Amino acid sequence: MAQNFNPFVEQLPENVKQAESSKKVSNDNHAVTKRLHKELMTLMMSEDKSISAFPEGDNLFKWVGTIMGPKDTVYENLKFKLSLQFPNSYPYTAPVVKFITPCFHPNVDTSGNICLDILKEKWSALYDVRTILLSIQALLGEPNTSSPLNTTAADKWKKKDEYKKLLLESYKEA
Amino acid sequence: MDNNDFDYKSVWITIKQTFPILEGSSTIPEDDFEAVPYEAINLIKMLNLTEQIQGLVINKIEERLRKDVVPEFWSYFKRTDNQNAGFQQFYHAVKYLFYNFLKLDLIVNKLILLRETNDYKKPVYNQTCLHEALKLIVKAVLLSQLPINYQRMISNFYETALKMQDPEEENPNGQCIICLQEQYICSCINMFQETNKKLSKMALLEPLVGQTLTNLIYNYIQSHIQKICKDSFDTSHLEALEKWLQSVVISWLKTIYFNDMMSTSEFFFNEFDKKLKNYLYNTYTKIRIDQLFNIIIEYPDSVPALEDLKLCLPKTDLKLHLTKTLQKAMETRLLHPGVSTSDVLTAYVAAIRSLRILDPSGLLLETNTQPIHQYLRSREDTIRCVVSSLTEEGPNDLAEELVRGEAVQVDENTLVDEGMEDWETWTPDPVDGGSSKSSGLPRTSDIISMLVNVYGSKELFVNEYRTLLADRLLSQYSCDTEKEIRYLELLKLRFGDSQLHYCEVMLKDIADSKRINQHIKQELNHSEDDIPMSAMIVSAQFWPPFKDEKLELHRKLVKQMENYTSAFETLKGSRTLCWKNHLGIVDLEIELADRTLNLSVSPVHATILMHFQDHKTWSLEALSKVMHVPSTVLRRKLSFWQSHGIIIESEPDVFYLQEEQESNENNLQDDVIVEDYESESAMASAQDQREEELQTFWSYILGMLMNLDTLPLERIHQMLKMFAFQGPTIECNLQELKVFLDRKIT
Repeated sequence: MAQNFNPFVEQLPENVKQAESSKKVSNDNHAVTKRLHKELMTLMMSEDKSISAFPEGDNLFKWVGTIMGPKDTVYENLKFKLSLQFPNSYPYTAPVVKFITPCFHPNVDTSGNICLDILKEKWSALYDVRTILLSIQALLGEPNTSSPLNTTAADKWKKKDEYKKLLLESYKEA
Repeated sequence: MDNNDFDYKSVWITIKQTFPILEGSSTIPEDDFEAVPYEAINLIKMLNLTEQIQGLVINKIEERLRKDVVPEFWSYFKRTDNQNAGFQQFYHAVKYLFYNFLKLDLIVNKLILLRETNDYKKPVYNQTCLHEALKLIVKAVLLSQLPINYQRMISNFYETALKMQDPEEENPNGQCIICLQEQYICSCINMFQETNKKLSKMALLEPLVGQTLTNLIYNYIQSHIQKICKDSFDTSHLEALEKWLQSVVISWLKTIYFNDMMSTSEFFFNEFDKKLKNYLYNTYTKIRIDQLFNIIIEYPDSVPALEDLKLCLPKTDLKLHLTKTLQKAMETRLLHPGVSTSDVLTAYVAAIRSLRILDPSGLLLETNTQPIHQYLRSREDTIRCVVSSLTEEGPNDLAEELVRGEAVQVDENTLVDEGMEDWETWTPDPVDGGSSKSSGLPRTSDIISMLVNVYGSKELFVNEYRTLLADRLLSQYSCDTEKEIRYLELLKLRFGDSQLHYCEVMLKDIADSKRINQHIKQELNHSEDDIPMSAMIVSAQFWPPFKDEKLELHRKLVKQMENYTSAFETLKGSRTLCWKNHLGIVDLEIELADRTLNLSVSPVHATILMHFQDHKTWSLEALSKVMHVPSTVLRRKLSFWQSHGIIIESEPDVFYLQEEQESNENNLQDDVIVEDYESESAMASAQDQREEELQTFWSYILGMLMNLDTLPLERIHQMLKMFAFQGPTIECNLQELKVFLDRKIT
């Protein structure tokens, strides 16, 4: 996972690093902003209208994302809002992504937390907002039922009609 | 004392002898001045009849005046035909009135004597002095019978007299203009003085003449100012006018009122003086304001007039009038489609400079130039005009201004700071300048920044400059870059380095191209039939976008260009060339069977001819296919060669090369419309570019609304500013955004 370390931050003993980290981060902020600006631009210019994201307010580090449910799944025609919170160490650390719209899904818990490997241990600095949103979109159609956060959803996954009913009950457009 | 044995009849006779007016005769009797009527006075005293007798006498005096004297006086006024006669008549009328007044005054003398002897002090008409009472009576009776035309008569009299005195109106023959006699025997002045004296003695000067005289003087002042101000703005008149007022008008008035001095004190004259001066200033200012548009146009020749006006404005209350008049004049004379943009600009610059003189606070400037500002915004070629006149050779207001350059940064922030530094000397805006909405903003009277601000953004301005520069650089292949660099440096002083960085690169590209061309030419081995060519290598990143047109060049050239590209690639490493086939210039030498032509044409035209070199006949369709040019465009381009008689359309849509010119074809060629291909700009128009930028914003706006649902306009604008305005030239104000979004709704 060499790419997950900021090459400009020297490896320092733990206690020293703690004290200096805030300073380092502020020096580095410009690079993060630049990267986020660039990601925004790519996202805005992309033709794919099924995913989208935009900074929520004046803070470039807090975005709101929107994904459309993938075609030919129970999620088709449903719109989901997500919040993306970027750490100062982005892209060396993954952003915190949560569903705002209630989402009935085996890998999403009731408060919107998502269990997705690329947001956790498999994060890489090569991912960006677009790939994150695309992965989550894909996850909607292909849940990982073996390690569920929402067991009801995992149980019902096979029974499409019942599943859809529960999904629509919980779904509430923001 | 026994009243009964008194002879009342003889007493009445004695009294009547003393006061013959009681007789009831129609004329005022000639009095015996010598005789002192002691007898009658004693009798009256004895009988205690003072009050009754005085009443009777005064009654009779009033009756005489009412019935005889005043009608007779006014009847003089009815027979006026010519002016000069009017002068005489007025003189005689006053003379007549004065004569009778004197006679009545003698009667009054006797009454006074009577009052004194009998120690009778009761006032008559509130006047203890009977002389004053008489004057009052005369005035009352006179004014009660005013005829309609009396003013004309009086003004006639004084106007003539004024003319007589006016040094400018002097009769060339040395004659008096009234009696037409030689001046030294003319007594007109004496007659005039005498009349004034008499009127003044009767206390009639002010009541009878005052108003008329004031009107007359006002008219006289106005016509005088109008005369001297007509179409001359290059001298200051204010001082001369004041002198004139003193030496001509006031001194003349003094001669009239000279005898009246006792009743009209010094104070009265001072008041009158002030009134006249005020009127003078008012009139002069009004006349200048009416001419203000012309004055502005004639700037700087009209500076003296402006200085005058500047002095006058604080003394009069006419700023609002000025604003209204000037704006109306501009509307009718400047801001209509018949005036070319450069003329509007010239007028605008002149207006800025003139109004800067009038009102250094800038308020007048702001309110008055607002309409021009708005109007210029509606003209498409404004920026182009401004930019080209900025950089044009030769005497030119704007170029001068640029060179003069006070190096004022066209940046609002710095201006605000400057304003804060000298807060101690800050003064509020004058309140009489008319309405001004935006007084919160700092005002600037720097001409270039005002012009740039017409569009509200210097980005747009710089962009236009970039496009113009690009056009100029591309159209003149041997460009005088030194001159351009000079202007660029000057512009940089105003707009800052970052804005004009792109232009700098463009100029550098030109210089680099020359070098690279030379270098590559040495590298490449020339074969005999190669066409000598040189490339202009411009950085796509920094130049404004080119107009896109498709054109496939002749294969011979394509081959050569490929060679050039590969040579460039070896020279510059990781860079390559992307050819813009439709841009450039081709120098042709056309050898036909019967003649040779030397022409500089566009690549399209040259390619057409090269194809005709291979085949003598082409159908429009085939040629269009080979050249990748739409047939409609191609036909237009072909018409250029048709006009030169080189290509002929033998049958519809089939063209062939005409080697020999038939003489009778000459007439035919005239019908072919020659396309003006030189004037076309190689750049995509500013409007196209703007559209493209707005399209980018649109994607951002879509993203915003998709994720954040609804947003107010201001919020969208703010977000765009934060996240979307990245390039050096991209900007969009709130108004523009609103218009753009409104368009998207439909």
